[in-house]
Amino acid sequence: MFDVLIKNGLVVDGSGQPGFSADVAVKDGRIADIGRIEGPARRLIEAEGRVVAPGFIDPHTHFDVQLLWDGAARPALSHGITSIVPGNCSLSLAPIRAADRPAVVGMFQQIEEMPPEAFTTAFDWTWEDFAGYRAAIEPNLAINVAPLVGHSVIRQWVMGEAAQVRAARADEIAAMQALLRECLKAGAIGLSTSFVDVDARGRPVPSRFAQFAELDALAKVLGEFGRMLQIVPEFYDTDITIARIDQLAELSLRHDIPTTFSPVFDSTATPDNVPRTLARVEEQFARGARVWPQMQTRPIDISFSLLRPSLFFARLPSWIRVLRKPLDERIAALSDPETADRLVADVGPDGGERLMGELVIRGGDAAPAELAGRTLGAVAAERGESPARALITVSLEHGLDVALLAASRGHDDTGRIGAMLAHPPVHIGASDGGAHLASFATYGDTGYLFSEFVRKTGALSLEEAVRKITADTAEIWGLKDRGRLAPGLAADIVVFDPETIARGEERPVFDMPGEGMRYVRDAIGVDAVLVNGEVAYAEGAYTESKSGAVIG
Amino acid sequence: MNAKAPAEAVIVGAVIGAGHDGAAELVLTLRYENGATAPVVVDAETGFSLMRNCGAESLADLAGQSWRNLLEGLEECSTS
Repeated sequence: MFDVLIKNGLVVDGSGQPGFSADVAVKDGRIADIGRIEGPARRLIEAEGRVVAPGFIDPHTHFDVQLLWDGAARPALSHGITSIVPGNCSLSLAPIRAADRPAVVGMFQQIEEMPPEAFTTAFDWTWEDFAGYRAAIEPNLAINVAPLVGHSVIRQWVMGEAAQVRAARADEIAAMQALLRECLKAGAIGLSTSFVDVDARGRPVPSRFAQFAELDALAKVLGEFGRMLQIVPEFYDTDITIARIDQLAELSLRHDIPTTFSPVFDSTATPDNVPRTLARVEEQFARGARVWPQMQTRPIDISFSLLRPSLFFARLPSWIRVLRKPLDERIAALSDPETADRLVADVGPDGGERLMGELVIRGGDAAPAELAGRTLGAVAAERGESPARALITVSLEHGLDVALLAASRGHDDTGRIGAMLAHPPVHIGASDGGAHLASFATYGDTGYLFSEFVRKTGALSLEEAVRKITADTAEIWGLKDRGRLAPGLAADIVVFDPETIARGEERPVFDMPGEGMRYVRDAIGVDAVLVNGEVAYAEGAYTESKSGAVIG
Repeated sequence: MNAKAPAEAVIVGAVIGAGHDGAAELVLTLRYENGATAPVVVDAETGFSLMRNCGAESLADLAGQSWRNLLEGLEECSTS
């Protein structure tokens, strides 16, 4: 008897080959058979009109902390993601000495925007080494985890406070090598490092103090295991990014390792960035190096409130003058009728309809919940005000703590992005799942890939899109038994409706420890998700399954 | 005939872009002594410092300003 039988679906197996109608049988966590299958099964999933594909793999997340109380990395799993890679950007939750926890927590809070309660009330911090962290998360996993170990925490372990002061000595580099080797043996699938991140005090994270010789020594250890080096380059500068690509290529060739970097995103302000970056990547691939650029699917939104001056107003000098005042003076100025009239007049005769009418009130802050998700234009019309006036009055009513979102202001040229995503060396990823919690939702990028670039523009075929986020990802990262549907492989499977799969609207939820807020997007069109042969999500709900594992 | 290139890099363009972290950022175009141009991206804090140093009321006022004002803006933000 099979454990699960998925009947009559369109099997898109991750290879990129055309989908075909078949049944998929699952037994003992593995795919038992694919074809026309009759036979009893403990659970039957009818998939007529649905795609049956390998579970999606998200190679760039920061779920390290959340996994300690949420083994499903919600809502990632509901979007069809069956494997995640946490520990990116030089930060992981191990190895960390007990004495170093406050410093590392500050780095996590800066990067992930995780509320402090997450570290004080949500779990018992019982481990120091990597094996201990693995043991802490593994029993409750509903999703597969392929963890990176962070360069910053390795450096912190070996050098203490000096990790954020100076270059490492030869003996310290040797100690880092030994520690990295220990982490890799304990299940880490690679090393992450960063050239841009800062801690809670605005200081560069430890990895940024490393000289190339240190990175080279650590890459040598990665080479012993054939494991990945992930970096965050100075992505805001194309020339420096290209220099980092060249460095990665040297490390890849010298130590025979895969490397990846992110973010890579397109902008009308810097239209040459991605083309130049990809051109260099191609040159390095031609040399035999493996340097995978990770690109996100979702566009970049701009968010702001009147609590802090935002460059969103850079074309409005009178607004800038007011918003740069100290908070109490700013509130006084905005409350002054004469000043407010002048600000409204300065946005133009349309009262800000063009500039501000489409701004979305985000919620999750001091604004009442009923305003969340509505456009400023609609709220303004309801109040009988212009959008500019409504921005001022609504903000003042809530102590200026009203977040607004200007949607799709970067990485938003669908035609360009589609071609880039389809480009062979481009590795679809960089979701940052589990990070930027209070800034924007980092979930649903896979749904957006299908809704925007398969259905809407056709930049990728269904099969290409599936391959990009399954088999390609598994191959790039060396994840054995994952990313394909074939007999004998792990039964990580997603069943979805190709006509509706998408990401939902962004919305605030208060499900972090201490009722901390984060923005999420719900999954649309995902029927069922199997992890290692067990149904982990179906019919819009998570099951009790704990079939996830640390994989590599 | 082309005008003579300036003796040092100057700002020749400024637009607002969307940053990786969801914040609006300032994308400047610098033109160097040899005529080459290149973008430089700065965050809001640096952008506002730059505008203040240049006495700029709007982005358009940044055109023609010396790159040294940008350096000063960066230094102010790194030491504040």
